[in-house]
This record gives sequence, C-alpha cells and structure tokens, in this order.
Amino acid sequence: MKSSVYSTLDRRHFLRAVTACIALPALDVFADEKVKTVASHSNAAKEGPRNFVAIGAYLGWHQNAFYPKEIGFDYKLPPTLKPIESHRKDFTIFSGLDHRSGNGHNNWSNFLCGQMPGKYSFDQLVADHIGQSSRFASLQLTTGSGENRTGKGAMNFSKENIYLPMMRRPSVLYRQMFITKEDRIRTEYLLKSGKSALDHVVGEAKRLSGDLPASDRAKLEEYFHSLRSLEGRMARQLRTLDNPVKDPGYKLPENDPITPNLQMEASVIMYDLIAIALETGLTRVATLFLDGLGQVFTINGRPLSSGYHGLSHHGNDPAMIRDLILLETAHLECFASFLKVLKGKKGTKGKSLLDDTIILLGTGMGDASRHSNRDLPTLVAGGGFKHRGHHAVNKDSDKLLGDLYITIAQKLGMKVNSFSNSKRNMNEVLS
Amino acid sequence: MMKAATAIAALMLFVTVNAQGNPLSGSRIPEAPRAILENYCVDCHDENSPKADINLDVSSVKWSDRQNIKLWEKVLYNSEHGIMPPAKKDQPTREERKILAQWIDSELTKHIKIGGTSPRRLNQAEYLKTIRELVYMRDYQLPPGFPGDSETHGFDNIGEGLVMSPTHLASYLKVASEIADLLYPQPRKSVPSKIQKGEVKDFVLSFSASAIKDGKLRLASKARDIMRSCTWPQQHQAKVSGVYKITVDGSCFKPRDGDLPMILEVRARQVSASERSVISNFRFLKDLEFSSETRQSHSFETELYKGETLSFRWKNAEFDHNDLKATVKLMTEWFKRDKRWLAAWQQAVFPGGLKKRAQISTLRGLTGWIAINKALKDPKLDMSEATLDSAETKELLRILGTVGGGTHNLGDALCHYYFNHGPSLELHGYTIEGPSKLVDSDIDKQHQKIAKQIAGIEKGDLSNEEYARKMLERFLPRAFRRPVYKKTIEAYLAIATEHWQQGHTLNEGMHLLFRNILISPQLLYRSLRSGKLDDHDLGVRLSYFFTQGPPDGQLAGLANAGKLSNDKELKNQAMRLMPTRREHPLVRSFTGQWLDTRALKSIMPDPKFKFADREINIATAEVELFFLEMIKENRPIRDFIDPDFTYTAPYFADRIYKMEQLATWDERKKRSTRIQRFEIPRGSRYGGLLGQSAIMMTTANGVDTQPVLRGVWVLENILGMSPPEPPEDVPALTPDTRGTTTPREMLAAHTKKRSCSNCHRHIDPLGFVLENFDPVGRWREQWPGTGKEIDASGILPDGTKIRDVVDLKRWLIQNEKIFATNLAEKLMVYATGRDLNYVEEKEVQSIVKNNLAKGEGFRDLILDLIASETFQTK
Repeated sequence: MKSSVYSTLDRRHFLRAVTACIALPALDVFADEKVKTVASHSNAAKEGPRNFVAIGAYLGWHQNAFYPKEIGFDYKLPPTLKPIESHRKDFTIFSGLDHRSGNGHNNWSNFLCGQMPGKYSFDQLVADHIGQSSRFASLQLTTGSGENRTGKGAMNFSKENIYLPMMRRPSVLYRQMFITKEDRIRTEYLLKSGKSALDHVVGEAKRLSGDLPASDRAKLEEYFHSLRSLEGRMARQLRTLDNPVKDPGYKLPENDPITPNLQMEASVIMYDLIAIALETGLTRVATLFLDGLGQVFTINGRPLSSGYHGLSHHGNDPAMIRDLILLETAHLECFASFLKVLKGKKGTKGKSLLDDTIILLGTGMGDASRHSNRDLPTLVAGGGFKHRGHHAVNKDSDKLLGDLYITIAQKLGMKVNSFSNSKRNMNEVLS
Repeated sequence: MMKAATAIAALMLFVTVNAQGNPLSGSRIPEAPRAILENYCVDCHDENSPKADINLDVSSVKWSDRQNIKLWEKVLYNSEHGIMPPAKKDQPTREERKILAQWIDSELTKHIKIGGTSPRRLNQAEYLKTIRELVYMRDYQLPPGFPGDSETHGFDNIGEGLVMSPTHLASYLKVASEIADLLYPQPRKSVPSKIQKGEVKDFVLSFSASAIKDGKLRLASKARDIMRSCTWPQQHQAKVSGVYKITVDGSCFKPRDGDLPMILEVRARQVSASERSVISNFRFLKDLEFSSETRQSHSFETELYKGETLSFRWKNAEFDHNDLKATVKLMTEWFKRDKRWLAAWQQAVFPGGLKKRAQISTLRGLTGWIAINKALKDPKLDMSEATLDSAETKELLRILGTVGGGTHNLGDALCHYYFNHGPSLELHGYTIEGPSKLVDSDIDKQHQKIAKQIAGIEKGDLSNEEYARKMLERFLPRAFRRPVYKKTIEAYLAIATEHWQQGHTLNEGMHLLFRNILISPQLLYRSLRSGKLDDHDLGVRLSYFFTQGPPDGQLAGLANAGKLSNDKELKNQAMRLMPTRREHPLVRSFTGQWLDTRALKSIMPDPKFKFADREINIATAEVELFFLEMIKENRPIRDFIDPDFTYTAPYFADRIYKMEQLATWDERKKRSTRIQRFEIPRGSRYGGLLGQSAIMMTTANGVDTQPVLRGVWVLENILGMSPPEPPEDVPALTPDTRGTTTPREMLAAHTKKRSCSNCHRHIDPLGFVLENFDPVGRWREQWPGTGKEIDASGILPDGTKIRDVVDLKRWLIQNEKIFATNLAEKLMVYATGRDLNYVEEKEVQSIVKNNLAKGEGFRDLILDLIASETFQTK
C-alpha cells in the first residue's frame, strides 16, 4: 500500500523541499508511522528526561566489589564504584535482578534483549520511540573490541531481530557527527545521485513483484519498506548537511585507540562523544559496549597478571580478583568522567544534561567465573530519578530486571507496559 | 517403533488453530468420515464451545484456506498416532481411523501443492560469496558490523525468515559504494607530508612480547605469532598509499658473543589486523641491523599502503615460542650449564615436588618470572632435583615442549628473563615522515585489472556509452544469475548516460551504475519466479545449496543451453559439487547450523577445561571430517549414530574420549594434535554424533552441563521434534561449581511438579543420558565436586529403559527411520529455504524409506533429495 503513495511523489518537488530545508508535509511520507505516535509521547513527557544511554560490560562486574554490603542510602562504597563516590546522590545500585535468560557468553545479549537473547533490544525499542526525529536514531559504540561481535554476541538488535553494527573508531563517529566541507560535498553528491537512482530500483522491483503471488509480494514489501526508510534517512542526512551542527572542536587523538589494551583511552573519548551527541541533539539514544577479550591492561604502571578474560575466570583466587577489580575500577573511572561531563552540560528546562539522561550501566553476565547469567549487577544513574542508594532484590523473588527497564521507558515518556518476560514496572522503587 | 516419537510429539501440539471459515463455500465431507467425526470428535470440538479452539462440527471444508490445511493435518496426525480422542473417551476402531485417514490424506494431497519458498534474500555468507565472485575479489571482507540473519526452522537461509531491514539495505548500499570506490575511484588528491614521532610509550605491549625497561622497549622472542613477538606503533596508520621515510632508533642490550648484529625486521601491518595474525600475514619491508649497545638510528624509504602501520620483530632472537624443539634444546643446554637456573624453574613449576605442581597457566609471563626469580634469589633454594636426569627435570622439559607450556605460559615467563638480563633488542622510538609521493598500492593496480575484467574490455577509444553497454551486457547476467533482456540493459544504461549528460565523469557514471546494480532485488534475492524451477533457477538452487555461491561457468553454461534440467546432467553436476574438503560450505555451514557447532567460538569455556582456540578447532574439525566422510564413502545413515570410524586427534582420543586403544601408545604420540581417522568398534560410547566433543560443548555453557538443554537439543536435532517453549518465569539453573548437589537433585522438581513433568519426563532422560560428557565432552564417571557416581539411566517415552549413551545409540539404530527422516528433512529445508508442507514431507519420507530399504548411503540420499519435485520447485 505504502509503495503507491511513494510512487505518486514528485521526486523533483521532494529534492527542492530538501534543499530549501523546509520540512514540507511530503517528508512525512518517508517517516515511519512510529514517529507520529512518538511525537505525542514526547509531548506527554515534557518534564521527564529526554535521553537514554546504556553501557554493558561483556565480562560482567565482579559482584562482591560492585554491590555494597548495606542496603539503602547509608552504604559504604564498594571498591569498583569508588570512582563515582562524588555522584552518589545520582545513581541507584540494583542487586538480585536478571532476565531469567540462559547462561554462558552465548546468551550475553540478554542484557538489553531480556529473556530471549538476539531479540529486539531495549535500546532499540527506546530509539524507535524517542529517537526517530534526531539525526541518528541511535548510536551503537564499542571499545576494546578485537574482533567484530556478530550474531547473538552483539548487543543491539533491531525490531526485526537483526543485530546492529557497532562503531569502534571515534574518528569515524566524529566525521559522521561533524562532517567536513570536503566530505560534505562528496556525501551530498553520493546521496543525491544515489537517491535519484533508487527510483530505478523501485521500478525494477515492482515489475518483478507483479508476477508473484500475494504472499511473495508481501515478502518483497520488506524491500520497498527498506528502500523508503533508506530514502528517508538520506533525506534526513541531506537536511542536516545543509544545516550542520557546529563542530565543537573536540580534540581527537591523531589515531584511534582501537587496540584492545587501549580500551580505557577509547572509552573516555566515546563517553565524551556521546555527551556531545546528546548535547547537540544529534541523538537521544546511545549505547556503549565494553568488550572483553584476552587484552592485558597496564594499570598504575603495572601490567595485570592476566588478560581480561583470564581474570574474569578468577576461580576465587584473591590475586586475580584484585587485578580484576583494578580493571573494573578503571572502567568506572571512565564512567565517572562521563557523569561529570553530563553534570556540567545543560539539558532542557534548566536541568543538567545528567538529569536529562537516564544511564543504565550493566551487563548480561552475572558471574563470568561461573558463566552464570543470574543476578546481573546493574546501576541506573541520572534521569532526574529520586535515587535510592542500593536497592537489593531477593534473586529468587519474582522481580525481573525487565521491570526496571519498563520504569526507565515510562520515565522517558513511552507508553510501554511490557518488555520481554516482564509485564510491570518498578516505579515504587525508582520514580 | 514410532511410538516414542509420537508420544513426545503429542506434547508439542499446543498450537491453537482458529475455527474454520464459512463451511458453505467449501467441499462437502463424505458420509463415512463425517459420521466418524460426529461419533468421536464433536462432543468436545463442537461449534459452540470448541475445545482448544478446534471445531470439527462442520459439513464441508474450504481447502483453499491455509488454516484448514493446518487443522486437518493435525487431526490426521493425532488420529494416526492415537493421541485423540483422549484415552478416557470412546475410541474409533482401526477401520474407522483408516477411513478418516484416507479421506484426509487424499484431500490434503489434492489441495496442497509442492513448493512455496518466499523470495529468499541472500544471507550474509551467500551475499559475501556472491559479491566476491562477481567482482573477482576473493578476499573481500564485509564492512564491520554488517548485519546478520535470523534463524528460522534452525537455519539462516530460509526465505520466510530472511528479513530485509533498512539496516540491511543501508549495508548493501555501503558495500556497493565501497566496491564502486575501488573499481571506479575518484582522482587522487595530494596530501601534505607529515612527521610523526613515536617514543617508547607509543609502542603496543601485548602479552609478553615486549616490556619497558630502563626507558627502552625490549624484545625477546622471534615467534611467528605476532602477539608473542612483535610490537607496533599504538597510534599510527598511513592515511594514503605513498612513499614514507622511516627512522628507527634501537640498541643491543647485553649482547653475547655471536648475538650481533641483532636484526630488527620491519613489516607493514594492516592496523585492523587481528592480534592472532602470524608474521607472514604482514608485508616485509626491511631488515635493520643493530650492533651497538648505545642508541643507533636507521633510516629507509618504503611504500606504506593506506591503512598500514609498521610492525617490529627481533628476527634473530634465540628464543622462538613456536619452535618447541628448539625451546627444549635451548633449555636443556641451559639447565646443563646452570644448575641453579634449573632448580629455580623446578621450584616455580613444582613448588611442592612433582605431585604438587603449580597450574601452568597461572605461571604465564610475569607471574611465572616472578616465581622463578624469587627462587633464584633464595639462598635456601632446593638443589636436590637439579640434575638433568631427574623426574622433575624431564617433566619440566616436557611441559616446555608442549603447546601452551612453551608457546604461551612458560615461554612468556622466559621472555622476562631476557627483558631483565638480556640479550634483548631495544627500541627507543621511531619517526614516520611522508608521504613524499603518492603511489598506487598493489591493490589499486589489482582493481584496475578487475574493472577491465568486469567490462571484458578496456575503455580505450570507446565512447562512455559503448563502454558501459559492454560492461552491462557482460556483468548483468552474472549479477542477476540469468540472461537479461535488452531493455533491462538499456534501462540501466540510461542511468549512466543521464549522469554523463549532467557533466559527470566516466568514473562517476560507472560508479553510479554499480551502486544501482548491487542493490537490485534481482541480485539480492533468489526464488523470485513461481512454480517449477527453470534451468537457471535450478542451477542457482543447486549452486547455493552446495557452495553458498552463485552458479559457476559450467552450471551457467548448461542452464543457458537448457541442459541442466536433464536428470542425468543434474546428477552429474551434483556429483561434481559434492564436498571433498571439510571447508566445503555444505559441510561447514550445514553442520554448523544443524548441530549448532557454529556457537562454539562464543562459548569461551572456563580455563580449567583447557579448551582454547586450538581445542575448539579440533572439536569442530572432528564433526566436519566425520560428516564429509559420510558423504565421500556414501555411508548408511545409521553410521551417523554408531559408526565404525571416527576422526579425532590422539590428544583428544586420549584425554577427552579416553579411548581404550590408546592405552598402549607412548606418551609422546598421545600428545599429537594432528587429526586422523580411527577405526573403532561399533557399540562404543565414543564415535558418532552423540559423543563428539563439539556437540557436547555446544549443548553446555562452558562451565557446567545442563541436562535439560541437552535433552531439548537431542529432541530437536536428532529426533526432529520441537518441544514447546519453556515457561517464561523459570530461570536457567545457576551452575553449582562447588558441587554440593548433583544435577539430578537440582532437577528433581521436574519430576515432582505435574506441570513440569509433562514435558520434562521426555526431555530429561535424553539429557541425563549424556551426563557422562562434561561441558567440553570429556568422558567422566562422577559428577564434579560431589564425588557421586553419575546416574545416566532413564526411561524413553516408549518405555525402553536405557542405562547409558550406548543404549541410547542402540535404540536410535533400531528406530533408524526417525533419525534418517530428521536428517533428510533438515537437508531439504536447508536446500529449499522453506518449511516442508504435508505433501513435501511425504515425498521426503518416501525417499528415506527407499534409501533405507535399498541399503543406500548418505550421498545417495542427497542425490535423491535433489532429484525430487520438492527440491525442484520454488
């Protein structure tokens, strides 16, 4: 059905509209229907936070160093969380929650997917609701990745349960965010020539489709839908090309720190870029995957006794645990700088950007030493929540991590009442 | 015989089926079956309150409704297998059941057509191979994060499940652009020359390949594994291909006689290269000789290609992680020379004598060196075993001579000796200046050749339009895998000519054309024409089935000549494409998905199992070689379960499978990791699918075993049944690594709670019977930690009692049709890209029946499946 609307659209008219940078109603044809429903959601959520960031550690967080012994506000900071001590009013630690998913690295993506790894992930659900009107519906970033994560080993999954690529080169991300004049001319050329050529492809696909039975035509409708969506994306890019966000002049290193042992260096830059992307409205949703392989870190001038994965299988050896905690604390130091940067930036309605952003820091692996995916260490920061210190849940109770996700979604103004295996929120804990 | 299967299957029928459409518009149910339905079924399944939403109180059936087809398939199934009516109700006679079955079968056969694969998007592997062949780039890699495919019916090449998403199309467009950039590049722009200086802190440190001492970076090993020997600039890469001036500052640390000159080998590495690369993956640039203990500078000019940086290795170091023989020799002589050195190593590796050795993996690198060094400095160091012929020395040398011992752990520890005491080649820094001029990399030149090959002609004096037409005439039929109409060529040509009329360059026009062709649905999809496959589509189906790639010249030629649909020719071609190597896609991709061995790479077993990449590769190879042999030797299907041969490495046969025939082997031979064929007695607990390490690993999680997951796996992949999804609120069991309870105790609830036991009494025995295999498939007789004897016994759904995996195998052989049908159906689903319907299942079943009756083999089965109507219909 939609393709007929498309075919009646005058391409020249469309391009003119784009170059003139006026959002003519014609553009709506390309927008997903979701966007319209979303608009009303965000209106409803004027007072709430506008952004969502999720950070996931592939090898988990050592529970004993992540969970405080005490419950509530009056707790002593556990070792891993020391770096964020000064922000303690701005986050809540959750212990005992998980998605009741399978065990093992294979099921890691339960972190954002819920009980079924590889299915529509929470960040994408959020992006489909609140991300559609910004330049990037969502940003998927990674650090420390030696090889590419694919399949169920990935973190982000689209509505079609397809894993999404993660960017690991800060310079590539930056170039996409703040395009140079030279790149702009080339990109504009590619977009415009490419867009006009799409018409040809559409024509060809339609001729093909005409000879097929109805069920096959329905299948090919996915192709048309993707074409339209791509066209919409191109239109959005063209629009932003003519109206670029000012380059804040962030100083990137000469070369990307992409070797896995420079993970911390890379994370600091990625956090900075996320903060800039949120501040400039380039995106509302971002995720950062902290990959863990065999990389050996040097911390305080000392190479750790084993690689990251080796340390995670500490087998309760105190020396290995000590090194593992050092390493995880280094991750939290990067995270602390992120919180600080967000606090210093302005959000909407006079709030800080931190209050305007819900941050979920967690993992899909509860105890890497045992490959157990129960009891996932989780922390929620910012978002204007009334934070609660340490909230402990009996891991055998019927409370699910998905309950917390629903609370996050609702705080973001989304009308969402279920996620994966969860069908209720946790607003009584966090609001 | 089929009882077990059906009893289990009965549990799976939880699907609710909608009531039928308007009965008036369908065909009437004849008197006899109608009476049977009225007598036995409609009491529960009536119009007003249809149980399970199934209404059988109808006088006619509209067969064009797919829901009705499904409904009556179910009725037939449940009646044939005695599932319905329920036991406590009146039962139809055998004769009555037969009448009902005959009527349903004839209607279903009449109304269900063979075929119905949805347009099938190329999956990631198929797309990659297709692109590689199309543009003659054998090594082309998809951009990072290229989207994957979801699995449907267990495979990632099913039309219905291969979703096209905006992410996919954007990625296809990206690939198209990337390739067009390579083939039809923009004119090069000049780049200003730059100087980049690196200091000691700017080198990459990986494992124990290098260390910083006294403000210098020291190297120790010449291993071919770059992560054990090499260093490279952390933050440099050539932005363009060009000539660069390289300066390296180095010196020799404590060289001995004969160590000079020390040779520093400089190679060019792709910045994006894996840490697991070996040195030969990198392009050799230059050997630099250092002979002085003070800082010395060497400069040279070289070409660096875009995306490359430098890599440094001490080429003539005495130590080489990868040369285990040399390591043993080196250490033997060293121990002979220096008894204290020997005693210190013994102290580190055997702190409590031979019986209480340290875990070798914890001695890796610095930790190991600290232990050795501490012993060296200990005035009370025990020297009593420090002779060359002591048992400790022999064991120590043995460990040093093993993969892991010498190549990783103790080898890395030894490196630290060199870092501290020399000899070592030291680096102080580097300078990279350039580019002084731009060059075409070898790759650029290669691409110019490819552009010519694609068009079949050089541009020369041809007009843009003539050139593009030649290219299209040659390229489009290859891209779309069938001849194309002239008007299609003209339509594409128009895209380029319009572009040129607007003043764009030749390459820009060609670039645009390419971007278009590579996202055409005719390239991205197959199964686009209904009905029986024509010659071209048959070639495509055959080719992707065997190779995951487009038809080669021979197939395309036969299709063009209309000869491929000839049965004999098709069989010839199938024989030609049959796997001969384990890397063959039908072997690798099919087994990887059917048996889930694909997942092995992401399991990351606990280090205590000592299963690293090498072991996982052996495990995968075992399955692949076994499957390959089944085809090559045309073995009977039952040999998948209980063969008289197996493929494994002695190291595995001994440690994992504990095969008796290795008992008499000498220790050295037992350690071999070379995979070979073993003849084994039938009826063994090892051999066959249900005993291979890979399969036991993929059904566990790397830390402990989970009988339920294994049970479900056997149901799905060996017996061919799909158990229902587990209830949502039940968590996975947390591994009890302390081992206070046995898995049987943990799962006791399954048999107690009725809601669980309904399914689990069928699932769990199939999992428990495999409990003798630990999470990596090692044979064990006790549950870890508890010290309790493993109880693997159980009762199969047909009442057969089994004690162990040998009994299960025997049962599977007695019921070989179950497994054979499952395998044949899986192959057919994989080949056709669709779930099989009633009629297609019937065809496959008759092929299997024929195969078993005639005593034919696995290759015959594949050929018969290809010859079937099911295979040859869209």
